[in-house]
Amino acid sequence: MGSLIQNEVIKILLKKKMILIIMFLLIFTSLFSYGQQYSYNKNIERFESLSGGTEFNWRSLTEQRLNDLDKRANNQFIPEDVRASLEREIEQLNYFIDNDINPITPTAAKFNVDFAQQGITLLFPLLIAILAADLVSSEFSSKTIKILLTRAVPRWKILLSKFIALIMITTILIFIIGTLSTLVSYGFFREWGFNEPVITGFKLNGGKLSSESVVLISRLKYTVLIYSLLWFASIVIASITLFISVIVDNSASAIGILMASLIGGQFLQFFLSDWEIVKYFFVTNIDLTRYLTGSFQPIEGMSLNFSILILALWALILLITSFVIFNRKDVLV
Amino acid sequence: MKKIIWPLIILMSISLTIIFTIGFITSVDISKDDKTDSLKKNQEQEKTPILNEELEEKENIKLTDTKRILALGDSLAFGIGDEGNLGFLKRYEGLLKKEKNQEVESINLSIPGYKSDQLLQLLISQENNEEIKAADIIIISIGGNDIKNIEYTDEISTEIVYREALKKYKVNLESSIKEIRKLNPNTQLAIVGLYDPYKKEEPEKTRFLLEWNFETRLIVNNDFKMVYIPTYEKFEYHLKEYLSEDNFHPNGQGYQIIAEELFAILYQ
Repeated sequence: MGSLIQNEVIKILLKKKMILIIMFLLIFTSLFSYGQQYSYNKNIERFESLSGGTEFNWRSLTEQRLNDLDKRANNQFIPEDVRASLEREIEQLNYFIDNDINPITPTAAKFNVDFAQQGITLLFPLLIAILAADLVSSEFSSKTIKILLTRAVPRWKILLSKFIALIMITTILIFIIGTLSTLVSYGFFREWGFNEPVITGFKLNGGKLSSESVVLISRLKYTVLIYSLLWFASIVIASITLFISVIVDNSASAIGILMASLIGGQFLQFFLSDWEIVKYFFVTNIDLTRYLTGSFQPIEGMSLNFSILILALWALILLITSFVIFNRKDVLV
Repeated sequence: MKKIIWPLIILMSISLTIIFTIGFITSVDISKDDKTDSLKKNQEQEKTPILNEELEEKENIKLTDTKRILALGDSLAFGIGDEGNLGFLKRYEGLLKKEKNQEVESINLSIPGYKSDQLLQLLISQENNEEIKAADIIIISIGGNDIKNIEYTDEISTEIVYREALKKYKVNLESSIKEIRKLNPNTQLAIVGLYDPYKKEEPEKTRFLLEWNFETRLIVNNDFKMVYIPTYEKFEYHLKEYLSEDNFHPNGQGYQIIAEELFAILYQ
C-alpha cells in the first residue's frame, strides 16, 4: 500500500504540474499584493490632497473612531450583542494605538487571509482540478490502466492509494498557497502583522448574525484557522474531482465538468433565498471562511456546522460511488 | 532524489494534516452554537411574552395618561411673533388633542433672546429639574441667537467669528443634552432646526446656516432618542407668508408649520 501511494505521489509530481501551479501562484500573489500596495498609496495620496496637504495621520482618525465607538457603547439603549461587538472593536483599536500600528496598512497576515477568502470559491478548486482531474482518466486515455490493473492488487487499493496521494498533495498545496502568499506579500508590504488582534466568532442566532460571542484572536491563529477551513474545503473538492475523473475518460472533460459545476453553482446562489434545495449544493457551501469573517448574508438554516456537514456528505457519497464505479468498470483498452 | 523527496512529503503532509485538523476543530468550536446559550434564550423567550403583556399594559396606561411636553430655548420656542400667542408648543398640543385625542400638558420654559450658553447655564442651575424629569417630550429651539449676531464684514473675519460661534454652540448643545439625559434618560428629545430669514438680504449667511444645521444633525444623531425637526426647506419659498412683522420670527402660520412638522415626525 505504502509503495502504491509513493508511486502515485511521484507520478503527480513528475507531471510537473506542481511547478506550473507554483509559478501561477507566484504571478498572482505578486500582482495582487502589488495592486494592494498601489491602491493603498493612492488612497493616502488622495486623502492628503483632499485634506489640503496635511499629512495622513492615522492616529487621530483612529482615536476619533474610538471616541465614536465609546460613545455608542456607553449608550444604554443599544442591544447587548451590538455592545459586545463594539467593545471588541474598541479593544482592537486600542491595541493598534498602544502598539503604534496603523490599522489600515496592508500586512502579510491580512493578505494571506484575503487571498484564501477570494480563492476558495474558484481559483483553488481549479488548481486542485489541474492536479487531480487526470488522476484516473489519464490512465485510461494513455492506456496505462491495463498495466496497472494486471498487478496482483485489488482495484479498490489502487483507487485508495490515488486518493491518499491526492489528499497529501492537496495538503501540501494549501501549505504552499499560505506560505507563498505570505512571503510574496511581505516582500511588497514589509510588514508581517501576525500579532495584530482580529475579531471573529460570529454566530447565527435565530437566523440573524449575532456578534454576542465575538472574540479577539491574533492574526497568526486566525490565518491557521482560515487555512484549516480552506484545507477541508479543498479535500472535498479533491474528492469530487476524483469522482469526475473516474466517470469520464479524458482529463479535459474532467476539468470542464468541474469548472461548469463551480461556475454554475455560483449562479445558483442568486436563488438561494427562495429556493430551499440550493442550500444542499456543494458550491453554495464551499466558502467556509465567510463564517469566520462574519461577512455573509445570514441564510436561514445555514451555519458553519451545516456547511461542513453538507460538504462531508458530498465528499463521502461521491467517494463511495467512485469506488463502486471503479470496481465494476469494464476495461476495454 | 526520490529518496529525499518521499520522506519529506510524508512528513510534511502528516504534520500539516494534524495542524489543519486542529485548526479546523478550533474554528468549528469558535462558531458553534452554545447549547446552554440557546437554552437560556429559550427560557428568556418564555419569559418575554409575560413581560410584553406587562409592558403593553403599562403602555395602555400611558396612552390614556397625559403626555407632558416641555419647550426649552429661545424666542422661537417661546412663540414670539405669533398673533395668537400660541407658539409651536401650544399648536402642537392642539394637534395632539384634536387628531389623537391625547391628553397633553405643556410647559414652556423658554426665554426669548437665549443663546446656547445661557440654555446650558439654565440646565446646570438645576432650576427646572422637576419639569425635565417629568417630561415625555422635550422640544428644544436654540442657536438662532448664536448665529444671528454674526455680522458680515469680509470673508475672512466673518469666517473666523462664525467658526468660533459654531464651536461654542456645538459644545453647549452637547453638554445641554447630557444634562437633560442625566435627569431623564428615556425622554424623547427634539430640536427645531434653523430656517433662513435673511435669504434675500444676506445670501452669504446661508452657507453658514446650512453647515450649522448639519452640525446640529450630527449631534442629534449621537443621541439615542432625539430627532431633528427641519424648517429650512419649509420656510425657504414662503418667507413672506410665514414670517411675522419683524422679518425674523415666524408668524402664526409659520409656527403652525413647525407644529405640523413636529406632529408628523414625533408621533409614534
